[in-house]
Amino acid sequence: MSDPLGAAAFDFPALLRRHGLLHEASLLPPVSASRPASTFTPTQATTILAFKFTGGVLVAGDRRATAGNTVVYDRADKVLEIDRHSIMAIAGVPATAWEMARVLEHSLQYFRRTQLQEMSVDGKVRALSKLLRDNFGFVLQGIGIVVPIFATYDFAGDGQARLYFYDAMGAQFEVAEYAATGSGSPAVRGVLFYENRWGKKRLQKLSEEDAVTVALRALDTAAEADTATGGVDRHAKIFPLIKIISRAGIKTLPEEQIAARFKRTVA
Amino acid sequence: MIEEPYRWVEAIANRREYIETQLAPGSPIVALSYRDGILFVTVGRARQKLFEIYDRIALGAIGHPGDIERLRMAAIELASTEGFTRSAGDVSLRRLAFYSLSPVLKTAFEQVYGAPYLARMIFAEVGASPAGDLFLRVEYDGAIAAGGASADTQPPRFSVISGTTPSAELMEELLRRDHDSNCTLRAALKVALDAWSAGSMRAADDEVKEIPAHATLLKHRQEKLKSATVEACVLERSGASAIRYRSVADGELKELTAA
Repeated sequence: MSDPLGAAAFDFPALLRRHGLLHEASLLPPVSASRPASTFTPTQATTILAFKFTGGVLVAGDRRATAGNTVVYDRADKVLEIDRHSIMAIAGVPATAWEMARVLEHSLQYFRRTQLQEMSVDGKVRALSKLLRDNFGFVLQGIGIVVPIFATYDFAGDGQARLYFYDAMGAQFEVAEYAATGSGSPAVRGVLFYENRWGKKRLQKLSEEDAVTVALRALDTAAEADTATGGVDRHAKIFPLIKIISRAGIKTLPEEQIAARFKRTVA
Repeated sequence: MIEEPYRWVEAIANRREYIETQLAPGSPIVALSYRDGILFVTVGRARQKLFEIYDRIALGAIGHPGDIERLRMAAIELASTEGFTRSAGDVSLRRLAFYSLSPVLKTAFEQVYGAPYLARMIFAEVGASPAGDLFLRVEYDGAIAAGGASADTQPPRFSVISGTTPSAELMEELLRRDHDSNCTLRAALKVALDAWSAGSMRAADDEVKEIPAHATLLKHRQEKLKSATVEACVLERSGASAIRYRSVADGELKELTAA
């Protein structure tokens, strides 16, 4: 029974720290010239993308996790549901990213339960920014970089979809149309820019089916040149994970639906 | 003054009497199983009395708002840290109530130089079927009762708290007679409001010994609702999301109570 007064008491990460359950990575000693960075190669996950379309926001991620040149896992889940209307997609080190997503998910729930109201979109965006900032020590040591995308719906405000990407230090950038991060993101950004500018329709005008096609094509393009991006594994039939946020909530597209769409418009 | 055992017992008895007097005007709270979940219902003026504790756990409380708040915060903190460090499946109402809240309440109650918690609480955890639902009434002295106040061979699929024991007993009598745990939300709300009305009438008038007729209950309720509102929340039995708590909005309440 701690004293609940003081603003930090309502902050879930602060609560975890009080119980010794969460440590700030920045408290670890930084790597110096006399103590070179370890040769340990962390597992990394790439590539993620998100864009707005007629039905809300589509968030997609390939399934590959790598460590250096090694493929560690080919069914990684990088598109994570944080609450009923928010998704955090992760590129970077999954060990750190999944923990970060867990902290964020619990933070939002803890806030709602204790304060008896939903956290605002700005509050949610800031909460993730703070977690990234706290993790920056790991980034400097070369073992814990996370570069997420955050997508949500602003119910309390204008009732519009909101989309952000972050850098490793925690700066958030709101985008109007699309975002992509991870090692395959240059190719993905190229595809999305091209589609948005010279495609038959702007991304925001796409139907759900066409949006899925664009997402699959973009990830397949990224995988063509980037070995760390899984794209679509035609032999093992592994498809990217696609989730859609709309007013009604979050919908995960069934694999058969993605497979059928892939067969018809991408393969 | 309290070095002698007798003085201590006397001090505890005084404090019990004091707390009971403080809790007596509390508006009753009803929690009951229905086919698709657990429903909490009460009637109040402004202050929220039904709360979300965790994915499948809710709380209803009467007493001093400051004490309720401290206990509610403690319950949320405990459940949230457990759910984070292990998993949501490891959060259990039974452990939360018996091993965390009860000892703290008992200690505060028996430390006669400190302030006790002025709160009476009802917790519920939704299960896969009405038989798996758990109701726990947690008293200011740390005593915990599962289900109803009076002994039953079958654990009842409901639980109530009220300001006074006779009021709670009359509510239980009504629920034993009228409640079917496989009913719809609409039927559950109807019987819960009847139970609330019976409890409210019994608490206000010592002459109400039997369950009043339905028309009398309705009249009492309509009178009370001129200056108060119905508050309700549900814990849903199934759903895509792990979070099963949902407060029932005014619009839905109106629709559900429409004949």
